[in-house]
Amino acid sequence: MTQQYDIVLKVSRYDPDVQRAWVQDYSLKAGGILRFVDLFRKINDEQDPTLAWSSSCEHAQCGSCGMRINGRPLLTCELLVETAMQMFNTSTFSVAPLTVAPVVRDLVVDLERAYQRIHIAKPYIIAPAPPPPEGDEYRIVPKVLDRYVEATRCINCFCCATACVTQKNHLGPNAMLVNVVRMMDPRETAMKQRAGLLYGEQGLPRCRTAQACSFVCPKEIDVAHFIALAKQGAFDPVS
Amino acid sequence: MATSKNGLKIQSVLKTDVLIIGAGGAGLRCAAAICEQRPDTRVVAVTKVHSPQKSHTSAAQGGMAAVDPKDPLDKIVYHMFDTWKGSDCSADQNIIRKVCESAWDQIVWLERHGMHFSRTDEGRIAKRPFGGHMLNFGEVKAFRACYEADRTGKGIMDTVWAEALKHEVIFLNQTVAVELLMRNSRCVGAVVLMEHTGAFVAVLAKATVMATGGKTRMYQVSTNCRQNTGDGLALVLQAGLPVMDVEAVQFHPTGIVGPGILASEALRGEGGILRNAEGEPFMERYAPTAKDLAPRDLVSRCIMNEIREGRGCVHPDHGLPHVWLDLRHLPEHVHKTRIQEVCGFFRKFVGVEPQSELCPVTPTAHYQMGGAPTNEFGEVQKDPQHVVDGLYACGEFAAASLHGHNRLGTNSLLELITMGKVVGDRVVEYLRDAPEPGELPDEAGHRALERFSRHLEARGTERFAAIRDALRRLMMDKVGVFRDEKGLSEAIEEIAELKSRATQMALSSKTLVMNQELIQNWELNHLLDVSYVIAQCALARRESRGAHYREDFPDRSPEFHYHTLAYMPEFGKITLDQRPIDMSIYEAQGEHYERFAVIERKY
Repeated sequence: MTQQYDIVLKVSRYDPDVQRAWVQDYSLKAGGILRFVDLFRKINDEQDPTLAWSSSCEHAQCGSCGMRINGRPLLTCELLVETAMQMFNTSTFSVAPLTVAPVVRDLVVDLERAYQRIHIAKPYIIAPAPPPPEGDEYRIVPKVLDRYVEATRCINCFCCATACVTQKNHLGPNAMLVNVVRMMDPRETAMKQRAGLLYGEQGLPRCRTAQACSFVCPKEIDVAHFIALAKQGAFDPVS
Repeated sequence: MATSKNGLKIQSVLKTDVLIIGAGGAGLRCAAAICEQRPDTRVVAVTKVHSPQKSHTSAAQGGMAAVDPKDPLDKIVYHMFDTWKGSDCSADQNIIRKVCESAWDQIVWLERHGMHFSRTDEGRIAKRPFGGHMLNFGEVKAFRACYEADRTGKGIMDTVWAEALKHEVIFLNQTVAVELLMRNSRCVGAVVLMEHTGAFVAVLAKATVMATGGKTRMYQVSTNCRQNTGDGLALVLQAGLPVMDVEAVQFHPTGIVGPGILASEALRGEGGILRNAEGEPFMERYAPTAKDLAPRDLVSRCIMNEIREGRGCVHPDHGLPHVWLDLRHLPEHVHKTRIQEVCGFFRKFVGVEPQSELCPVTPTAHYQMGGAPTNEFGEVQKDPQHVVDGLYACGEFAAASLHGHNRLGTNSLLELITMGKVVGDRVVEYLRDAPEPGELPDEAGHRALERFSRHLEARGTERFAAIRDALRRLMMDKVGVFRDEKGLSEAIEEIAELKSRATQMALSSKTLVMNQELIQNWELNHLLDVSYVIAQCALARRESRGAHYREDFPDRSPEFHYHTLAYMPEFGKITLDQRPIDMSIYEAQGEHYERFAVIERKY
């Protein structure tokens, strides 16, 4: 087996029953290939079954386990102990929930509240283009698809929205991507409505081009690239 | 209304037309079908996860099989034949026909509703080969799997979830269904526990659709997500209803060593090759025609055999045996565009660069072919002749059965969208003159509240983790890829012992609000119940068929040409029954009917 490390997790906790918030330290021994979700499980199994945390697929495809580790939003299912030690040059880590939604308990946030932003951005095709006469699928050549396919990989983990420098009155980078994808999708015709959402009050004017979204995206999507395209007016139906 | 001894009670009642339990690909395809045809229908969908988009459908990778009517080479009958042969002659032919014939329409539905399929140079939906899918009745591999890179499940999930949003389906997120509500043998909804608030709510519905998905978290190495704990099957069993073919558990040949994360069959579809420790491409020895694209049950057994005979490797970090998947010879654009996510998993989780290094893989529990038995309309059966009024099932949770004892890759995503649609259509018909669900039945919630009371009041020093880990190990060792009478009998005894230990797990906190310990104890009971039924069914099936492989009975036997039904209203009180396999294609004696006889299965 690989080397065991002594790890300290300083975990933000919240008990809704008595509305108390505190930071609790957990010390544990762990191999370098363990992921942070494994550490939480280890704490539940060996030290404290009451610590609540979220995950589902545990391989970075669902985006349920986003948290802030030493302040940096990331998916804890793909953060290995050794990677984290190199990334932050320490074996002590603060573990806190994402900031985009209210905390339910400990590290569990009410992601439903965060998702309201995505609902506003309407992920479906609002007004489909006339279907092809052959009666089957639309034709989209790879050259067209390739322009926006990266943006379709977004899993709404809200790491970008947590990292974003504009926190107030802003739908956030991932909700912007929802709009960008459909504006680049040749099957969508509701360009005016989408432009209204994208360039509206809670949209792009709030972006300050810090590019934190691209920096933290666990799927390595260059979110800022798509936002820059939008800022250039690439999708403005008038131009 | 029911109140338990320690004061647990149903706090409110919600009335709706349709209740969907499990808001994954199948559940929401069904919701979309209902809302498209009957826009004013009130649909409530319950999910265990944070948001429907987090459902495990999103983790599916490879593709969806469908014969394109414009394909000059492929034919629907080949797809039907492959599915029949793949199932080891225990799928139902009426379902095979229904699903394969409607496959392309459902692909087009997804595409028209915004799914981002990968494309050919002409802009059409691209297709790739997958295990067991062949042209001309098994002669040569078929390009039949429509895909969105290696995130096809995500594409489906995003599409059906967005459609459900558009139609204003009401979602109850982070909510678990704890009891089915029955009145005069009609299902009238369910009691749910909303974890955010800790409230028990009775949802009264004219029609209830169960689509709770996968259920193989009882295995040590599994591709299933944290929430796939067999709750749906346990609910059905507790309601006195049967489950079918649960002994048929598919082990995916290529799980990434360690966490067991799925490494899609698409990797082999794109040309990846399995190699043993000596570098030999061993599948050529076992399946000379299909080679690396033989069906999953076969490939998993071959890998385990290589490991047993000393031609496997041991992973230095995880200490687990494995073989290699070689992707080094695949062109760079394939790595970058078609298998991008999975290559990322190898880099992140085992520190391997698939473009230049061999990838360590090992079989991992992946899919249960069995589930709640339904007829061809997705109506849940209480026995082979009768259905439960108002109760439907689709997706991995259900067994219609499209897969029999072994499922072909890409047929599961296909099942979600085709059978989801079928159930949606049926529910719309039912709603036309379905009576109101009425008031809350007197006994409503009684059983569930008693169970939660027992968890809250449990005393003892048993530890959850010890029981969970013991169960996972024994299921892997004794009810896994290889099985025999001795191992299965031991497993049954050991599970029963674990079940009694599980009553002695005292809780650290008695709150109902987001109490993960309470929920995991509740889930553990489901894992134990379902494991017990799997082991009993596996013991009773004294033959080998598809993914169910008995070393003491290595051949398929005509004596067992039926579906296993199992009832277990109370733990340990198990009754087994049979359901005949539908052979309607064979019996109709139409063109190619002889292909749908009970045939030999060679690849």
